Amino acid sequence: MTTAVLELRSVTKEFHGNAAIKDVDFALHAGEIHSILGENGAGKSTLTKVAAGVYKPTRGEVFYQGKPVEFLSPQEALENGISMVFQETSLVPSLTVAQNLELGNEKPLNRLRGLYISAQQFLQSLNFEVDPTALVSQLGAAKKQMVEIARAVRHNAKVIIFDEPTATLTPEEKYHFFKLVNRLKNQGVSIIFISHALEEALQISDRITILRDGEHVITDKVAKFDRDMIISHMVGRNLSKEIHGETGEKRKSRPSGKRILSVQNLSMGSMVRNTSFSVFGGQVTGVFGLIGSGRTETFKIIAGAVKRDFFHGGEVRLSGKPVRYRVPKPAINDGIIYVTEDRKLEGFFETKSIAQNIYSGLLGADLNKNLMVNYAEMRELAKVWTKRLNVKTIDNDSKVIELSGGNQQKVVLAKALVQKPKLIILDEPTRGVDVGAIAEIHDMINELADTGLPVVMISSYLPEILTLSDRVLVYRLGRVVEEFSADDASEEKIMYAAVH
Amino acid sequence: MINPFARILDSFMGRGSAAVTVPPLDGALKPNNQLEELPEGIAGASPDDSALWHGEPLYSDKNRLMSVSGAVVATMSSPLTAIATSGDRLAIASVDNGLEIFDANLKNITPTWDKRIRNLTALTFTDAGALWYCSGSSRLAPDEWRRDLMEMNRAGSVGMADITTGIVRVVKSRLGYPAGVVGLSNGNVAVSEAWRSQVIEISAEGQIIRVMLDEIPGYPGRIHRRPSGGYWLTIFAPRSPLIEFVLREPGYRKAMLAELAPEHWIAPAYISGQSFHEPLQGGALKQMGILKPWAPTRSYGLVVETDADFIPQRSFHSRSGGTRHGITSALEHDDTLWLTSRGCCEVLSMRLKTQGENA
Repeated sequence: MTTAVLELRSVTKEFHGNAAIKDVDFALHAGEIHSILGENGAGKSTLTKVAAGVYKPTRGEVFYQGKPVEFLSPQEALENGISMVFQETSLVPSLTVAQNLELGNEKPLNRLRGLYISAQQFLQSLNFEVDPTALVSQLGAAKKQMVEIARAVRHNAKVIIFDEPTATLTPEEKYHFFKLVNRLKNQGVSIIFISHALEEALQISDRITILRDGEHVITDKVAKFDRDMIISHMVGRNLSKEIHGETGEKRKSRPSGKRILSVQNLSMGSMVRNTSFSVFGGQVTGVFGLIGSGRTETFKIIAGAVKRDFFHGGEVRLSGKPVRYRVPKPAINDGIIYVTEDRKLEGFFETKSIAQNIYSGLLGADLNKNLMVNYAEMRELAKVWTKRLNVKTIDNDSKVIELSGGNQQKVVLAKALVQKPKLIILDEPTRGVDVGAIAEIHDMINELADTGLPVVMISSYLPEILTLSDRVLVYRLGRVVEEFSADDASEEKIMYAAVH
Repeated sequence: MINPFARILDSFMGRGSAAVTVPPLDGALKPNNQLEELPEGIAGASPDDSALWHGEPLYSDKNRLMSVSGAVVATMSSPLTAIATSGDRLAIASVDNGLEIFDANLKNITPTWDKRIRNLTALTFTDAGALWYCSGSSRLAPDEWRRDLMEMNRAGSVGMADITTGIVRVVKSRLGYPAGVVGLSNGNVAVSEAWRSQVIEISAEGQIIRVMLDEIPGYPGRIHRRPSGGYWLTIFAPRSPLIEFVLREPGYRKAMLAELAPEHWIAPAYISGQSFHEPLQGGALKQMGILKPWAPTRSYGLVVETDADFIPQRSFHSRSGGTRHGITSALEHDDTLWLTSRGCCEVLSMRLKTQGENA
């Protein structure tokens, strides 16, 4: 019989009297990769946080290497060999990559040069292309995640917990990450892997555990699972068709409405290069491109979050009227709403409640008619939108940071929708969101387009682009290089245009 | 007070009125090669406008009015510039004679017009029987449209002519080369104002009700109603950043108009690339004997199908390097689209059942 390195027996964790996980049994064997899957809010993160000493269980026991343990902090768990890579980055932005890697292991005197050299060697051994001298605040989401992973590996842990490690990585970075995970496994490290990408779990795991609504559903060897089976265990119904459009019928695309947005020869440094395209009402315009292709930057210019070139920066016309925003506020007032890809950093106020966050959208768009904050309106607004978008929460006064990724995204969407958009730009709307919430967000996107709203959906996930888009714009090297109608588009064609 | 400064700043920074940008050909206007792939059409001298007369498509070809079966229906003393039909009535506009009305036997029944109507670019009978006309310019003939554009004139007008009493009423003037007109179901008309690249709705009282379609990436011309609803809109020449730039340089334009022959102007054309004397952009150089379809061009073939609200639904193109350029009219009859091309001087026919929705 295989020995369990880490075991949780009948563990329950309650917040404000509500159980996030209930009587969950979980065992991690030595040298195995064990995926934990479930919808957002299923309790995956809570379970692993209990194991990593972030939360103290309300009931139940944790056994580590056969002995009962009660870690008082993640630091204590780390000292005992349990390391966790958090979904939300825990790096210190004002320190360099090398300093972050060394954090917690500092000596009384630290020689910077030596620090950088050892960090450089270590990062290269992991095949992570990150400059150790760069400030973490200047890194993109993907690079931050790589530093997080490197930090966990550096502590020579016996158990490493990866919570959504691949959400921001490119295919090549993922390839290196999986190689690294397998290398760690061969060295005898046990790994817990949490991901919404089911293919990744099926590819990398030895065993899979599925949670639903905080309860254990099934644990078995990976060979016993397939994609549809995982989804039905996760949500209690088959959503594969809803998410991937596997209905067998060709979806009829919506006819083009009026041209709402016209971008003409837009330029911004080397990121956006003389690009032109239009967005039409009543359609979902899917925007695909590899990371660094300039798609997000283009739409940030349109939304006023980034400035275009000062000289000959091109034109943006909203309903025929030239617009040039230096800050997002006038764009919001004109009805251009951009929903960020990095919700944790730019999407919401994490220490504020759901109601306050949704109401802040109203305040941002100057749509509140009162001189002061109207708490009754705030509560009513939160009630309406949490119901409409099915936000799973204890109450609307819960802090957004306490919600699961999918529910956080729904709050961000609610905050955008209260602003009464005339053009809504959704940047990676389902990144880090579970399958159940993906289907709900997809339904919402379709509903918005059906009402005649022009919807722009930037996504790196091709099945999502193909399922939702009425037309697809492909970005490469800072400009739109190809346009496909829904009938013409295929994964191969889109990827070819994005790469060649 | 701030306007002149804003203009100087715009000119310095290349934005606002000084931005030499052109709307993209995307969405329903995404380029294809469908006009170029059509079989050879009916050769003509200079086919221009078209209309349906007693169940048969007619087209104007220089001085002659031709049927697509090859019969000469009428011959005039000067080139025809527009035609329209309604029941037994045939309206013909020509360079010398202006607007003339004919009956079913082609007998001239033109009343004495109380005002001189000239330089007509488009005609249409509305459902109520009123004859609307477009006069591209008050002083330049339709064949001089390139000069009119380069002079940035706004000397066009739209009016109504009563074919029984001869009363002519100018409904709206100071338009930028109105080149197409069609009656709407509400009694107003849709007019394509070429130099402003837009289609506008004008009421019988001369009010511009709304802009129905704007930011057209070319100069819109004649509009024909589709039997099943919606319209065919022809774009007779493309806009390009170079031409937009020239249009913002008055000194250069003035010198160009004064010193160069019209065929050598940097201006849109019905057809281009025929002579090495013509102005050429670097991107339009032939590589290995082939002109790239996306090369900068002064001429283009484009016809757009719109819905009843003038929202483009699909389009047919002849791109750079093609010859089916300068489409000046598109008439749908019996699932066939008849197109007059000033570029290749052909009347092209397209079976709509083999294209797009009906395929």
